[in-house]
Amino acid sequence: MNLESISTISWISLMQDQLGTSSWRIALFGLSLIYGLIILPTGAVMSYLERKLRADFHARIGPSRAGHAGIFQPLADTLKLLQKEKYSRSTWTEMLWIGFYTMAFYSIVAVMPLGSIALLVNTDMSAFLPFWAALVLAFGTMVFGLSQDSVPGWFGGVRVAAQALAGAFPAIVAILCVGLQAGGFSWSSMAAVQGASPFSWTVANPFELIAFFAFVGGGMILLGIPPLDTGLSMPDIHGGVISSLYGKRYSLFRFSRFYGFFLWSVIAVTMFLGAWILPFGLSEILRLQERFILLGSLELLWILLKTVLLMLVVSSVAQVVPRGRVDHVTDFSWKVLSPFSLLALIGYTVWIGLRTFL
Amino acid sequence: MKISVFSGIVKYFQDVYQGFRSVMNSYSAALPYVLGMGELRKEVTEQYPDPISSKTPDDLPPRSRGILFNDIERCTGCRECKQVCPSRAIEIETEIRPDTNQVWVSTFNIDMAKCVLCGLCVDACLPNSLVHTRQYIQSAYNLSELMMSFGKGPITPKQRVNWEIARRIKENDEVLI
Repeated sequence: MNLESISTISWISLMQDQLGTSSWRIALFGLSLIYGLIILPTGAVMSYLERKLRADFHARIGPSRAGHAGIFQPLADTLKLLQKEKYSRSTWTEMLWIGFYTMAFYSIVAVMPLGSIALLVNTDMSAFLPFWAALVLAFGTMVFGLSQDSVPGWFGGVRVAAQALAGAFPAIVAILCVGLQAGGFSWSSMAAVQGASPFSWTVANPFELIAFFAFVGGGMILLGIPPLDTGLSMPDIHGGVISSLYGKRYSLFRFSRFYGFFLWSVIAVTMFLGAWILPFGLSEILRLQERFILLGSLELLWILLKTVLLMLVVSSVAQVVPRGRVDHVTDFSWKVLSPFSLLALIGYTVWIGLRTFL
Repeated sequence: MKISVFSGIVKYFQDVYQGFRSVMNSYSAALPYVLGMGELRKEVTEQYPDPISSKTPDDLPPRSRGILFNDIERCTGCRECKQVCPSRAIEIETEIRPDTNQVWVSTFNIDMAKCVLCGLCVDACLPNSLVHTRQYIQSAYNLSELMMSFGKGPITPKQRVNWEIARRIKENDEVLI
């Protein structure tokens, strides 16, 4: 990827001209806005909805104390975790995994697809960049596990790495399928080939539907999303690497889990489920009327709504399927998801060939 | 048993279908709870017992294990509780009282942040000085607030002198008698 392939969108250039400040300051401001106004609030909402949904599955009440119907429970939990006292000394290995996590959190926020206006940077290889964040998160978790002087830490760390490698393959092949359809791997090209109607989404094609399942399943394995989180929660390793986490570090770890899940889901929506294209032709109408702020806000809300719904559906799988063993999960990736993703790729290639020549 | 390639492929797809169907069956069993259909809507949660809700410590089952309490006047400082504690939450220091030659429990600390409320220490306590109370709320802002101290404190030089005098008086009285 070279610098010419990176194109900043117009509003950064506009702000640079009007404010006379450097582009990195505007980008930093943009990143802070994305975190403060989008990712963290979505994390809180998602945490609340997921707990309520899980409670419904179990015939429980769920969060009910903090605020009306427990709506402030995520805030209360965060405050509690941040106030926890440390009772062990910090080590350099701890700083190492925290460093990896921080790198994963900030490195690709700029390329996160949150609408045509909110997209800070649009590159030719955008679709592959989330792998960077997901693999760095997995690597950080592995380093953290191996740095612990305990069997749960060592085995947990190695299992996280094994899962990450197994899950990455079908997900990459699924991205190639979408790239074939879109004619490129930038978010804008992937959104351009889709429409507002579900019948014009990428996933409407039968081969892309298989690729969608391979991408979501691969992501669940790569990031360790329940019930495929065997590297983190198997009973034989007593919780794996997280068994020694508490307080601020635990909140950082929990946030990383949400961040990876959110990132993967927003990308799945962009590639397969109609991206940020608004229904009823609103996108074109607002663009023609040059109401870019309204367009950007609606696109953002629309893609967030679809992302949260997808996350809830994926979360619900964990409520009906028991957690498997780590070898079952890696087998599932190599023996089911990978062949099916290759089938989707070959099938879609043949489909394109037939469409071109017939 | 050796099977043909075709049969193997068919079996592979059958297994994948069975897996998919198994997930769908699980959904069909669980969804009535989510959608609140019929009697399945009933939520089974009992609120955490506290004075605000209907449950109070008095409503707890008889053998509930709450925060530990040690009646230090009955405690002999035998350290049995410390020996059996799996989480090493108990710290005991003792001295010999000069006037009676009995054990003086100067330090008896229980770190409730470490305590797992297993009850082994209570079972091991011969004079029955260590008991579980019915208090279960242990929330605190600092870990130090969870340290329960029951010890009598170290014997001071003044106490030692007083006890020595008392012991001599008692001995003289016995000689006179």
